[in-house]
Amino acid sequence: MKPIHTIAVGFDGSEDAKTAVRWALTLATHCDAQVVVAHAVGLLERFDAKNVAVELEESLLRLCDESGLEHSRAQLEIEDGDACSVMLRMADPPISADLLVVGTRGQGAHAGLLLGSTSLELAEHSTIPLVIVPRASTTEQSQMA
Amino acid sequence: MLIINGGTDDAGHEDPGHPERPERLAAVMKGIEDLQLGDDLLAVAPYAASRSELARVHESTYLDQLGAFCFEGGGDLDEDTYATYDSWALAQHAAGAGLAVVKELRIRGEGTGFVAVRPPGHHALRDRAMGFCLLNNIAVAAAELTSLGERVLIIDWDVHHGNGTQAIFWNDPNVLYVSTHQWPLFPGSGAPYEVGGLEALDTTVNLPMPPGATGDVMRQALEETAAPVIDHFKPTWVLVSAGFDAHRADPMADLALSSGDFARLATFAASFAPRPGRVALFLEGGYDLAALRASVSASLGALLGSSATTEDPTNGGPGADTVRTTRDARQAALRIAHDTSH
Repeated sequence: MKPIHTIAVGFDGSEDAKTAVRWALTLATHCDAQVVVAHAVGLLERFDAKNVAVELEESLLRLCDESGLEHSRAQLEIEDGDACSVMLRMADPPISADLLVVGTRGQGAHAGLLLGSTSLELAEHSTIPLVIVPRASTTEQSQMA
Repeated sequence: MLIINGGTDDAGHEDPGHPERPERLAAVMKGIEDLQLGDDLLAVAPYAASRSELARVHESTYLDQLGAFCFEGGGDLDEDTYATYDSWALAQHAAGAGLAVVKELRIRGEGTGFVAVRPPGHHALRDRAMGFCLLNNIAVAAAELTSLGERVLIIDWDVHHGNGTQAIFWNDPNVLYVSTHQWPLFPGSGAPYEVGGLEALDTTVNLPMPPGATGDVMRQALEETAAPVIDHFKPTWVLVSAGFDAHRADPMADLALSSGDFARLATFAASFAPRPGRVALFLEGGYDLAALRASVSASLGALLGSSATTEDPTNGGPGADTVRTTRDARQAALRIAHDTSH
């Protein structure tokens, strides 16, 4: 099995995404990996003139502290695109992630629907291993830590 | 003669507060009215694209899922894209509108087509809605034409890269896709080194523009980089993904074009049609209603010989360096691809 040097995790600010980021940061402490926290900037985020970079950065630092991962081993990557396309690009250079991590559903999708699910789209198209972290895994994550 | 389809009955595809809204189409129709075409305006009958026509460019599973999603009441398909109960039927008619306009052009052998529909289409992938788009309207029409043995040039001047159209025809040597777009910007694709798949090398031309770019830079890129590729391709039809969100007043992006620039872009695109009746424009983006109205009027007016007043074309913006680096990157990517394929 290929060693995990870089983990890319999707982050839209939702609670599900925070759970996924916690899981990825904790995994990184176990396998000495870097974590790239990817945020996709869609059409509406730009239309609304949101600038979420500072908020996301602060959130990431808090999550690093919770997980015990040095700040230098986690970076925020903000890219234009839909969430699925941005996560798929994480497998390509320059990031070249070895593992993708996402929550079960983010801000855009509906529970129980096949359509509009970033995690299911990634499961179909990803060329590298993918972990879909369910919301209930918060407890398991803290046990793992 | 202007041959149009669309402009009516799209109110069922609406999400309050969303920029892709019915008022856009009302502005487009006012832009057409401004041309005062009289008997030179022909509206062709609405038509819903059939399953087999859609399946040329979309996966059956996706069509099933999208239809079911709408019939269940719709909702958000991703962070940007919504669908309502009515969206499936309206999207089928939007795709069918392109087919109807192309069919009318083929029968008449003259005129200019304009497909004034929403939802727009150029971000829609084979298996996924994206970027306000449900079905890829221009791709459905292009696939119809290639099934008849035609060679189709698609020029996409929407401010966003048409990732869906590019992906659908990536390995199709009978479709040449040329895009000008702001970069970096959603959807993040459209780099100059994206030149087509190994089965269709040099049938994708991406011309990214930096924020603030003006019409002169866009025309320079098209004339210096795209025109030689188009001449070599020898299209028999010209379809245009006519988004108007590269206008300087548009809130979705940062290019600095005027309505007069769209008139010149339309003239450039139409110059590659081998004979009359081989040009059709498809509405994509454009979210400032006044700019949308003026730009539709200017671009169609240029093709119809109208003397309608437009804003002056723009010049002096950044991007001249980008034109050169784009050309160099394309040539390098083509060399690597040719070496790989041999």
